[in-house]
Amino acid sequence: MNEDLKPPAMFELIEHTADIGFRTWGKTAAELFENAAGALMAVAVEIETVEAREPYPLAAEGLDYESLMVNWLSEVLYALDAKRTPLRRFEVSEVTPARITGQGWGERWNPARHRAKLIVKGVTYHQLQVEERAGGWYAQVVLDI
Amino acid sequence: MNLEPIDAFRFRIARDERRGMRTHVVVYASQTLIDQIRKDLSLEQAMNVATLPGIVGPSLAMPDIHQGYGFPIGGVAATDVETGVVSPGGVGFDINCGVRLVRTTLTEAEVRPRLRDLLNQLFRDIPCGTGGAGPVKISRQQLAEVLVEGAGWMVKNGYGSERDAEFAEESGCLKGADPEHVSARAKERGQPQLCTLGSGNHFIEVQWVERIHDEAAARVMGLEAGQVVVLIHCGSRGLGHQVCTDYLAQMGAAMKRYNITLPDRQLACVPIQSPEGQAYLAAMRASANFAWANRQAILHFTRGSFARIFGAGARLELIYDVCHNIAKQETHVVDGKKRAVLVHRKGATRAFPPGHREIPAAYRGIGQPVLIPGSMGTASWVLVGTEGAMQETFGSVCHGAGRLMSRTAARKGRNAREVQDKLEEQGILVRSESRDGILEEIPEAYKNVDEVIEVVHAAGLARKVARFRPMAVIKG
Repeated sequence: MNEDLKPPAMFELIEHTADIGFRTWGKTAAELFENAAGALMAVAVEIETVEAREPYPLAAEGLDYESLMVNWLSEVLYALDAKRTPLRRFEVSEVTPARITGQGWGERWNPARHRAKLIVKGVTYHQLQVEERAGGWYAQVVLDI
Repeated sequence: MNLEPIDAFRFRIARDERRGMRTHVVVYASQTLIDQIRKDLSLEQAMNVATLPGIVGPSLAMPDIHQGYGFPIGGVAATDVETGVVSPGGVGFDINCGVRLVRTTLTEAEVRPRLRDLLNQLFRDIPCGTGGAGPVKISRQQLAEVLVEGAGWMVKNGYGSERDAEFAEESGCLKGADPEHVSARAKERGQPQLCTLGSGNHFIEVQWVERIHDEAAARVMGLEAGQVVVLIHCGSRGLGHQVCTDYLAQMGAAMKRYNITLPDRQLACVPIQSPEGQAYLAAMRASANFAWANRQAILHFTRGSFARIFGAGARLELIYDVCHNIAKQETHVVDGKKRAVLVHRKGATRAFPPGHREIPAAYRGIGQPVLIPGSMGTASWVLVGTEGAMQETFGSVCHGAGRLMSRTAARKGRNAREVQDKLEEQGILVRSESRDGILEEIPEAYKNVDEVIEVVHAAGLARKVARFRPMAVIKG
C-alpha cells in the first residue's frame, strides 16, 4: 500500500474550553507515540495535503513517559514551526521512559499546496495521561492553541 | 467545592488545607457568569493556583475566567519575591500576548465605502496564520537587540514614532531581559516571525466608537463617537512558545530538587530567587520585548495599509498597549504592609489607578487605559484602572469576554462561508487564512463581553470609558 494513502493517525479530539486535546491509542508504546505525533499534525494542518517525501529525524528525552510525550510532541511542533516541515508519517525505532528515537516523513511547507488549520503554541502537561492498559497503550494530551 | 457569594459580584472559595491550598480563592462574577464558569474546570484550577508556595493574598479569578492548562485563563496570583515561586504556566506559552488600541482620524462613514479594500490591504501587508515570514527582516544580532529593547528597537529603526513606545505598558520594554537565556531554537523560530499575527484568537480589527461612557476620560484618549479605531491582538509568536516549552521541560527536574509538589504538573514552578527562576524571568522578559516589537511592527504596517487606501492624511496614533500573559515584579500593599510581589497575570490585564507613576503622564489624571477585546461579532471596550483594583486584585482585571464553548463544539454543524455571510449582514467583514480559524472564533463561542465588563465596573476594579463595534476583522 502506498504510505501516502494510509489514513491519518488513530485519534479523537477532546473538548476543552480554550484549547484542543486528543486521545490516542497504540498496540505498543512505539505505536502510541507515532499516533500522538500524527494527531498533533492533524490538528495543525490539513494533513491530507502533505506528502511523506523526505525523512526527518526525531529524538527526545524525558523523566517518565509523560514528560517524554510532551518533549516528543514539542520536537514535532518544532519541525513544523521552525523548520517549516509538516510531517505525514512517523516511525518510532526505540522508546523507553527516558528516551525516544525515530523519524517522521514529510516535506517542506509549500503555500501553494499545503493548508494550515491552527497554530499550536505548545504541548501542555494539563490532564496529561500516558499509560499501558490491558491490551495496549493510551494517551491523552491537551495542546495550547 | 464550597463556593459562597460575598456580594452581587464576588464569590469566595474557602481555603481547603486537605487540598494543599495556602489561601482562599476570590471569583469576580455575576450569578449568570458563575453558572457558566462552573461548567468547566476553571474554579478547580483557581484552587490549584492557591497551592503555589509563597502565594500572597487570594488566588483571583476574573469574570472572563475559563479553563486553561495549569492556571485558569483569567487568573491572577501574586507570589512573594523573596520566598515565592515563579510559574511559567502562570504566564503561558504566548508570553506577553496583549492588545494595542489605535485611534484614527477617520470616521465610520468615511471608512465604510472602502472597507473591503482596507481589509484586503491589511491582509496583504501583515502575514497571519502560517502565512510565512514577516516583512521585517532582521539579523541574529538585531534579534538580540530586539529582545533587550522591545518596541523601542522598532521605533529606533524607523517602524514608528517615539510617542508609540511611550504609550505602552512598561514603555514597551521590560528591564532585565537577557537574550543569553533564550535558546537558539527560540531565536530560530522568532527571527522570521517579527510582524506576523499568528492564529487562534489573534486578530486585527477595524472598529468604530459606538458609545462613550466617560466623556472626560475619552477626551484624554482622543476618542469620540463614530470615530474609527484599530485593535491589534497578538503576542511573542514561536519565540515565546519555545521559551515556555524549554523552561517547562527543565522545571520537572528542578521541582524535585526544590521539593515542590503540585496538583497539576502544568503549574510547574521554581523559587523566584533560584538560578532556574531567574533564568526563566530573564527569558520571559526577552520574549515580552519581542511581543512589544511585534505589535509595534504590526502598527507600522497597519499605518501603511491605511495610507494606501485613505491617503497620507489619515493618521493613526497609539492610545495604549497592554500585556495580558505576564509575570511582573510590582509593589503592592497587602494587609497594610508594602510587599514586593511577582504578579502572574494569565489572561488578565493590569489596571493601575489615576496618579500611578508607572502609567504615561498623559493618563495620570484618568487611570491606565484597560483594553478588553470581545468576540469578532460583538463589541470591545476600553476602561480605566481604579484604586479598587489596587486594593483588591494587585491592580488587575479581566482580559476579554472569555470562551464559553470548546473549539470542537464551535465547529460542529457550522460552515465558514455562512458565518462570514451572517457577520456581513451585520456590517462586519471577516478574512482569515483558515476556515477553522473563523468557525472556532464565532461570537457564540464567547461569553457576553458586556456582562463581563459590567462585573469589573460594578465591583469597582475598572471604569467603563467607551464601547467599540467591529467593522472589519482579520483572524489569524
